[in-house]
Amino acid sequence: MNRLDILHLFPNELNTYGDHGNALTLKRRISWHGLEPVFHHHHPGGKLPPRVDIVIGGGGQDSAQADVQNDILRIGGQIHELAGAGVPMVLICGTYQLFGRRFVTSTGQEVKGIGVFDLETIGGPKRMIGNVKVKSDFGMLFGFENHSGQTFLAENQAPLGIVKRGNGNNGKDKTEGARTNNAFGTYMHGPFLPNNPQFCDEIIRLAAVNRYGGFTPREIDDSLSVLTRSAARRRHY
Amino acid sequence: MQKFLGTVLGKSVKAGLAYRKGGGQALPGLVVEKLFPSYVGAMLNKLPEGVVIITGTNGKTTTTKMVVHLLKANGKKVLTNSTGSNLTRGIASSISQHAKISGKLPFDIAVLEIDEATARRLVRMVRPRWTLALNVSRDQLDRYGEVDTIASYIKAAMEASEKVVVNADDPNLLKAAQGLADKRVHYFGFSDKLGRFFPNDYELAAIDAPSRQSKAAKSPDVQLADFKKRSATYLINGRKYSADLKLSGQHNFLNGAAALALARQLLPDVSAEDLVRELADVPLAFGRGEKYRLKGGGTVELVLVKNPASFTQALASYGSSNVNLMIAINDNIADGRDVSWLWDVNFGPLASKKVGLTSGRRAADMALRLRYDDIGVGEIEPDPIRALSRLDHKSGEHVILATYTAMLRLYAKLSKSAEKVR
Repeated sequence: MNRLDILHLFPNELNTYGDHGNALTLKRRISWHGLEPVFHHHHPGGKLPPRVDIVIGGGGQDSAQADVQNDILRIGGQIHELAGAGVPMVLICGTYQLFGRRFVTSTGQEVKGIGVFDLETIGGPKRMIGNVKVKSDFGMLFGFENHSGQTFLAENQAPLGIVKRGNGNNGKDKTEGARTNNAFGTYMHGPFLPNNPQFCDEIIRLAAVNRYGGFTPREIDDSLSVLTRSAARRRHY
Repeated sequence: MQKFLGTVLGKSVKAGLAYRKGGGQALPGLVVEKLFPSYVGAMLNKLPEGVVIITGTNGKTTTTKMVVHLLKANGKKVLTNSTGSNLTRGIASSISQHAKISGKLPFDIAVLEIDEATARRLVRMVRPRWTLALNVSRDQLDRYGEVDTIASYIKAAMEASEKVVVNADDPNLLKAAQGLADKRVHYFGFSDKLGRFFPNDYELAAIDAPSRQSKAAKSPDVQLADFKKRSATYLINGRKYSADLKLSGQHNFLNGAAALALARQLLPDVSAEDLVRELADVPLAFGRGEKYRLKGGGTVELVLVKNPASFTQALASYGSSNVNLMIAINDNIADGRDVSWLWDVNFGPLASKKVGLTSGRRAADMALRLRYDDIGVGEIEPDPIRALSRLDHKSGEHVILATYTAMLRLYAKLSKSAEKVR
C-alpha cells in the first residue's frame, strides 16, 4: 500500500483545543482513501524523518510556544525546503504564529519565527474567542478561534480566506490565516480538519500527487460532516 | 451598620423573589455584593474557625460535600454553598439568608466550593484558613483562554490562604505551590501503581513521549493506595484504612483522599479510622451518578461530563461495563461554546462498541467525533427529552453522559417522571 509520511510538530507541547483531532482525521481519511498513514512525532531535539509528505502542528499556550521556539528555529531551514517543494502543511494557531516572521508578546518580548509566512503577530489585550466562518478557495471553512495574538499579513502574503463571521487574523482586516504555496496557517480550531473534510482531502490529494504523481479518491460517507456543517452555517453565536 | 444593611437587604430581595417562580439564588447575592462589596468578607472573617475554599477543574462539588459531611459528623456547624451556585454572589446570597439580624452567623466554619476565577476574586475579600486545590486541566477554555491562566488563578488563592492542601500529583499545582513556605503546604495524592487512572493535563494529550509520569516529589498526608469496585484504601501515617463508599467512580476515590487530607487538619482530634468510616456515608452530588427506574423496567444513571478529564474519567468508569450509553452535548455558555474538547477525550474504552444515542445541540458533532474512532451511533436526537423518551421502554441499564445544561433538563424531567433508586 502506498504510504504517506506525516510530520506532526511538537504534539506534546502544542495540542490545545482538541487539535489532536486534526491528526486523527488525517490518519482516518488517508486510510479511507486507500493509502497508509505513517506518523512521525517531532519532539524538541529530535531529528526530522527522511521523507515528509504532510506537516501538521497545533495550538499551544504562550508558555509552550516559548518551550519549542529554539527547536523550531533549529529545524527552520529544513521546513523551508519542504514548503518550497510544495509539501502541504496545516498549521494551527500557535504553530501558525511560529511560521510567521515574529511574535511580539503583550509584554514587548520578541519571539522569532521561521518566516514561511510573511506576517507578524502582536500580543493583544483581549482574546478573540468564538465560532468563525471563512470563505476560501476550498469552500466555506468552519472553526472556533481562541487567540489573543493579532496577526498582520505583509502586503504580498495571501490569506487562507476572508472572514464571514468572527475575528480571523486580527479582528480588523477580515483576513483569516495565510497561504504560501501549499502551506496553510489558520486560527481555526474546532478541530479544523474534521469540520472541513473537503480541505483535509485536498491536503491528502496534494501529498499523494507530490509523491506518487496522482490520486484517486475513494467515496467516503461524510453525512455527519454535512450535518455539522449545515448547523455551523446557521449558527449565529 | 453595613453588615446589618447587607443582611436585611439580602433577606428582603430573597423575600421579594419568593413571589416569582424559580430558585432565585444568585440575585439576592448579586444585590448584596454590588452594594456592599465588603459585606461578604466581613461576615465570613468573623467565623470562629474561618473559611475553607475548595477549587480546581474537577471534583469541587463532591469533595466539598465530603468535607462538609466529615465536619458535620463531628459536630461542626458548617456554612456551605450547597445550592450549586458557586459564585461569590451565590455565597453572599447564602450568608444573607442565614445571618441573624444581629449580624452574627450561626456557624463555626465555612466550606465553599469556588470556581477558579471566583477564587481569585473571593480572596480579595476573605483570607481563607485553607485552600484545597484539587487539579487543573483543560476546561472551558473559551472562557478562560489557557490552562496556565486557570493555574494562575488558583495560585493567587493559595498565596492568599494561611495554609493549603494540594494534589501532589498535579504538576501545574505543584508549580503554583512552589513559592509557599513548606509548613503552609499539605498534600494528598495516589500511589504509583494508580498513575494510569489519573492522567494530568499533560498526560491527557501527550503522544508517545517518555511519560512524564508525575511522581509526587512530596509525600502526601493521605494517599489513595488502591481501589476495587466501591472499596477505596487510603494510606495515612503509614497505616492502611479501607471503606466501601456510596460514591462510585475512580475520581471520587481520589476526591476522598483530598477530603481526608483536609479533614485531618480541620479535625485534629478525630482518628483517621473514624474519618475514613464517615467518608463512606457521603451521598452522591447532583449529576454524579444518580439512578432512576424507567417505565419499561430499565434504569438510567446521570453522569456529568464537562471537560476532557471528567469525560475520560466517566468513560473509564462506565465505558467498559455492559451498559447502554447516551451522550448529550450542549454548547450553551455554561457548557462552553467550543466543543473542540470532545477531541481530547479518550474514547478507548468504547472501542468496538456502539453508542445508542447522541443528543444535545451538538449531537451531530458528538457523532462525528465518535465516527473518527470507529464507534457507531444508533441515533442522533438533538432534543435531550425526546432522546430520553427513547429509553423509556427499553430494559437494561442505561447511562447518560451529559454536559451541564443538558443534564439540568434531563434531571428536571427524570425527577418528575421517574422513580429515583439512588
